[in-house]
Amino acid sequence: MSQKHPFKVYEKPELPSSSLVVGWNEDAGKLGSKVIDYLYRNLGCIEFAEIEPADFFPLTGVSVKDDVAQFPESRFYYCPQNNLVILKSDPPKAEWHRFLCSILDVAEQYCHAKELYTIGGMVSISAHTTPRELLAIANSPQMKRVLSQYDLAGDFNYETPPGQRPTPSSFLIWLAKERNMAGASLWVPVPCYLISTEDPQAWRKAIEFLDIRFSLGIDFEDLDENVAKQNEKIAGVRVSLPEVDNFIRKLESNLVLTPEENEKLIKEMDEFLRERD
Amino acid sequence: MGIRIYNKPELEDPVLIASWPGIGNIGIIAVDTLRGMVRAEEFGEIEPWDFFYPKKVSIINGELKDLEFPSNKFYWAKAGEKDLIFFIGEEQPAEGGKAYAEGTKAYQMANLVLDVALDCGCRRVYTSGAAVAPIHHTARPKVWAVPSSQELLDEIDRYENTVLMSDIAGRGGQGNITGLNGLLLGVAKRRGLDATCIMGEIPIYLQAFPLPYPKASRSVLEVLTQILGIEIEMQGIDAIVERSEREIKRLYDRFPPEIREELDKLRYITHIKETEPEPITEEDKKRILEDIDKFFKRGSKED
Repeated sequence: MSQKHPFKVYEKPELPSSSLVVGWNEDAGKLGSKVIDYLYRNLGCIEFAEIEPADFFPLTGVSVKDDVAQFPESRFYYCPQNNLVILKSDPPKAEWHRFLCSILDVAEQYCHAKELYTIGGMVSISAHTTPRELLAIANSPQMKRVLSQYDLAGDFNYETPPGQRPTPSSFLIWLAKERNMAGASLWVPVPCYLISTEDPQAWRKAIEFLDIRFSLGIDFEDLDENVAKQNEKIAGVRVSLPEVDNFIRKLESNLVLTPEENEKLIKEMDEFLRERD
Repeated sequence: MGIRIYNKPELEDPVLIASWPGIGNIGIIAVDTLRGMVRAEEFGEIEPWDFFYPKKVSIINGELKDLEFPSNKFYWAKAGEKDLIFFIGEEQPAEGGKAYAEGTKAYQMANLVLDVALDCGCRRVYTSGAAVAPIHHTARPKVWAVPSSQELLDEIDRYENTVLMSDIAGRGGQGNITGLNGLLLGVAKRRGLDATCIMGEIPIYLQAFPLPYPKASRSVLEVLTQILGIEIEMQGIDAIVERSEREIKRLYDRFPPEIREELDKLRYITHIKETEPEPITEEDKKRILEDIDKFFKRGSKED
């Protein structure tokens, strides 16, 4: 195992202090990666570093997804006007601790990062017409106080159920806490039938928070267009497939779907939305 | 990657007994039971970060309070005339979704365990796991023993209910011990320590079920206490065995009758080389084992 830094820094950003925002690929509703992509496109971000994949991913070939070859990426960008650093990354498959420490090393050593946010989607048994909320998990009482100034849901208890594991975001903010770096994982519930496609409403919710927190001055017009397009597509599905409409109505009325109904709703919606894309 | 020793004990010629989870959790139940019976005290641990992904997060009122990792702890005790060191790993450092440790991480962990043992003056190591065997669950599990050197073979012969690989029909003294329970044996040998892996038998048809098999742990415990020359109360593990027997009977009763009929034949055959003829012919025995193997689509193996 190589003990040298597993990251490459191409340029040293001149940031007196910064905040790091992390989005993972393979996220529910593509939330993490879409939010990072959006920030990258709209804030004039510059790529400055990456984590080399060799120690963290089984590089036995490439996977193909939606007809396209995939390759693990972990790229850092900085936004000079906003003192913001963003990371879009695949979750590693091995050496988690070293990988997550490398993220914090880059952020601290090269960007003087003082705080960290992770963005993620969580599965929700709710309809897409339910307004999205943003849940926050702070890694310290101080961070919890900071977050209490925003419209976030943050007073809940949770323990990993048997047979499951904590998320990489929890691991990362815990490591940040060990270094006395303020951190929070932010979660938007994504309707179960949008998990494998896209949920622009969830992206909007997360970006709204970042806009206020970092005074980004984001124009939400394009995001609103995405939300409207998605709603239109789903309305189309509901007209074409009365059974799907019935399932969504049940969710809108807070009724519980049977596992079979749930599975069918996810399958039909997934197929339909992919066809329309 | 490190070791944390809180309170190094003063030990005389201690014996290390180590185990990780495996098939039926046979080794770890035996070792942990012994650890409890001799009231061993925790004295150190291997830091988990480089080996494990966390197992549990605790969030209270929206604040992350704790992140728990699988534990890897050292304990010590004086039992009769013997000084003992225990190492109990809650998980094997498996990578890429594999059930058992292998490769660099496993090798590193095995070496860290031995670093502590050697630092405490240890020269002898026991590990424990499972031996998947064509036995019936009503049979008393035997204990397979694999030593690190020829010199230890005679010693093993002295312990009741133990068998060597060469005692098992059709093996010719060969076999594999997968995972850390086996790897530690090899690394100990490499570092010049006397080591033995003792494995309790689990019926071939139970290996795939996520059930502990404490009946085999009891057999391992009997052998371990013989080896160490100590006596312990068995009531605690006997109660666990009794509960497990009831659970296994319920499971067995749910097997299709034709499978049960086939498996019941395991009551009358033995996989250990016999000098006296068995009540069943060699040909029948071969066919029964092949049928069972076909049904469960698995070969006999150890962990």
